[in-house]
Amino acid sequence: MSEPTTLGSELTRALLERLTALGDDELVLGHRDSEWTGHAPILEEDIAIANVAQDEIGHAVLWYGLVEQLGGPDPDRLAFFRDADEYRNAALVDRPRGDWAFTMARQFLFDAYEAELLPRLERSSYAPVADAAAKVRREELFHLRHSALWLERLAHGTDESRRRLTAALDELLPLLPGLLAPLPGDAALAAAGVYPEAAELADAVLARVGAALEAAGLARPTLEPPADAAGADRRQRPDGVLAALLAEMQSVARSDPQAEGW
Amino acid sequence: MTVTDRDPLAHEDPRRLAEFEARIAAGEKIEPGDWMPSEYRRQLIRMISQHAHSEWVGMLPEGAWITAAPSLRRKLILIAKVQDEAGHGQYLYHAAETLGATREEMVDALLEGRAKYSSVFNYPTLTWADVGMIGWLVDGAAIKNQVMLAGCSYGPYSRAMVRICAEETFHHKQGQEMVRRYAAGSPAQRRMAQDALDRWWWPAMMMLGPHDSDSPNTPLLKRWGVKVKTNDEVRQEFLDEHAPELLEAGLSIPDPELRFDEATGHWVHGPIDWDEFWRVVKGDGPMNAERLAARRQAHEEGRWVREAMAAHAARAASATGAVPA
Amino acid sequence: MSHAADTQWPRWEVLKQDAEGKPHQAVGSVHAADAEHALLMARTVFARRPSAVSMWVAPAASVRSFTAQELAEREAPTERAPAAGAPERYLVVRKASHRRSMAFGELVGEVEGANVDEALAAALARLAGEPVLALWLVEARAVVRSDPAEADPWFGPARDKTYKQQSVYSSRATARQDAAKGVPR
Repeated sequence: MSEPTTLGSELTRALLERLTALGDDELVLGHRDSEWTGHAPILEEDIAIANVAQDEIGHAVLWYGLVEQLGGPDPDRLAFFRDADEYRNAALVDRPRGDWAFTMARQFLFDAYEAELLPRLERSSYAPVADAAAKVRREELFHLRHSALWLERLAHGTDESRRRLTAALDELLPLLPGLLAPLPGDAALAAAGVYPEAAELADAVLARVGAALEAAGLARPTLEPPADAAGADRRQRPDGVLAALLAEMQSVARSDPQAEGW
Repeated sequence: MTVTDRDPLAHEDPRRLAEFEARIAAGEKIEPGDWMPSEYRRQLIRMISQHAHSEWVGMLPEGAWITAAPSLRRKLILIAKVQDEAGHGQYLYHAAETLGATREEMVDALLEGRAKYSSVFNYPTLTWADVGMIGWLVDGAAIKNQVMLAGCSYGPYSRAMVRICAEETFHHKQGQEMVRRYAAGSPAQRRMAQDALDRWWWPAMMMLGPHDSDSPNTPLLKRWGVKVKTNDEVRQEFLDEHAPELLEAGLSIPDPELRFDEATGHWVHGPIDWDEFWRVVKGDGPMNAERLAARRQAHEEGRWVREAMAAHAARAASATGAVPA
Repeated sequence: MSHAADTQWPRWEVLKQDAEGKPHQAVGSVHAADAEHALLMARTVFARRPSAVSMWVAPAASVRSFTAQELAEREAPTERAPAAGAPERYLVVRKASHRRSMAFGELVGEVEGANVDEALAAALARLAGEPVLALWLVEARAVVRSDPAEADPWFGPARDKTYKQQSVYSSRATARQDAAKGVPR
């Protein structure tokens, strides 16, 4: 294990932003997945989606834990006491649950993104990030196998499943660049070898997604890599979807100012 | 031995019946494929499928709070717990399938309102503390029943129960942990915990089933080693364990007649409102309609998904010339 | 309420190995659309907690089951079918005890036979003198197996989910201390 990079204050600030965004993506996606618990199409898949939800939320705890180590708030503070305008997740993960095709398509896009992100993060010069990435990657292998299986089956299932899958992708694919867009501090992190270079990562993810869609007999989308400034995407919440999600998620935690813990 | 007005065993071959009962008396497990009285099969399918339905419906009251769990740890615990309930339903449907019932038939019976499930899941979860109280009381009561059933004479049911018991202790403990914390927490948390106990105490006491005198199936099920204890015996175990623990946590139990009997060493409870119990069992509980509606909705919304997978598998099988499973 | 016939998908028997060197055990079944899906569902249903290193699935239709009672009452095959072509291989799963268990029985080996009768005879010959309370013959070519090279990502992560283990929950005394200190976890 290499010595952890000593981060200056600028890099620390940038890394805090990035780790928060990583955690927020995982938490919000896990939250959406957890909405299926008890309502999935069949018992076995109910168990499977609850597993994915636990994994993603567990990953959020890992990333938030690194925020805390760098002097930030603790994970519960981050999750339950920030408002929507302070969250840094991509819009892709906070869209409402939708049907099973939407959930599996979204999960596939996120899993494909992580399949490219995590091996790169394992080479981070900041050892705690590399270690956390290794843990997350272990679980993501199964996620990708599961969501890719569904993508392929729904594409070649019935007319209805193909129609629903296509509709889901039509809504989701335009949001993929927002997931890949760099945050303002990412370039500095990339220069220090802490975080992968945004454009190279985006190209790899888009190539992987395009190839998988093509293999499933779906139209290969024309996806433009995100513009540099698109990281701002993560802060724009014009439609109140995230705010509504958080209002429910945080309702009990914020209900009792005298409570010292739950 | 006549257990009901019409003897369900009248048509059975006496020699086979005697052999069967001797095997059970000797502690052997009955396996699928073994000879069994048709009444044994019928009672087991009834019990196991009701038990499976209870797990599946039982995901709903607590599942409703997953999206509002107040810490990341509580959120993970609750998802895992409700997930386990799906798993337990899955194991139990499997056990019933070994008796010749299909999951399609069992699911249909539930959704069409022809099957029963535990009355306790027809009560609403009004606050977050209900999640803890369900873990402590409802799972506490369920474990007493499940430990007993782990010793049951039918192999697949016994095995499902052994697996479930190993997982269910976590459900009980996380609930206990929550309620104890809230009972010693802020004034609002204490109120929430007491209110939850006030509402869940009697449903938990009732869920272990009617008094032995009103439980017509019990004698035969005991004779065949399906139930090893009566409903009242299991309820007494639950009471003896939980009453002192709840009191120690600083909560009051909503039963003015509850007392510890020094002479017997057992706790004694006041009368149970069996009218309410039967009302809820027969479909008139506060949440019966909602629970079934939620199950039906998930089933209907999942139909196209199940059909798509089946269509894909059929096409793949015909492409390779393989016979579909 | 009337609706089209539902499908819960076919059933697949699941064999799980808890640790290297231990036999695979028949732990239950899953409903899944196809073999690849069945293996994922087996992991999902039976490896939520850390006690697996390998998992196999087989279509329920590929499993022949015989209890001791059925074996005792079974009539000897009058005419052995001629052994045409290559013999079929079967996994043999045996239930050996009435003790309480999570598993039906465990894998004791493989046999060959031109048909089920031959395979059964071979299995019983191999187990002669040992307790056989029930026996399964599973068509070996129908079995789909998890990849040993992926055992860690398949089964390792469950170890980190300590919140599912009863042992992490505080005793009565520490719960009171935690509550007093407001410890959130």
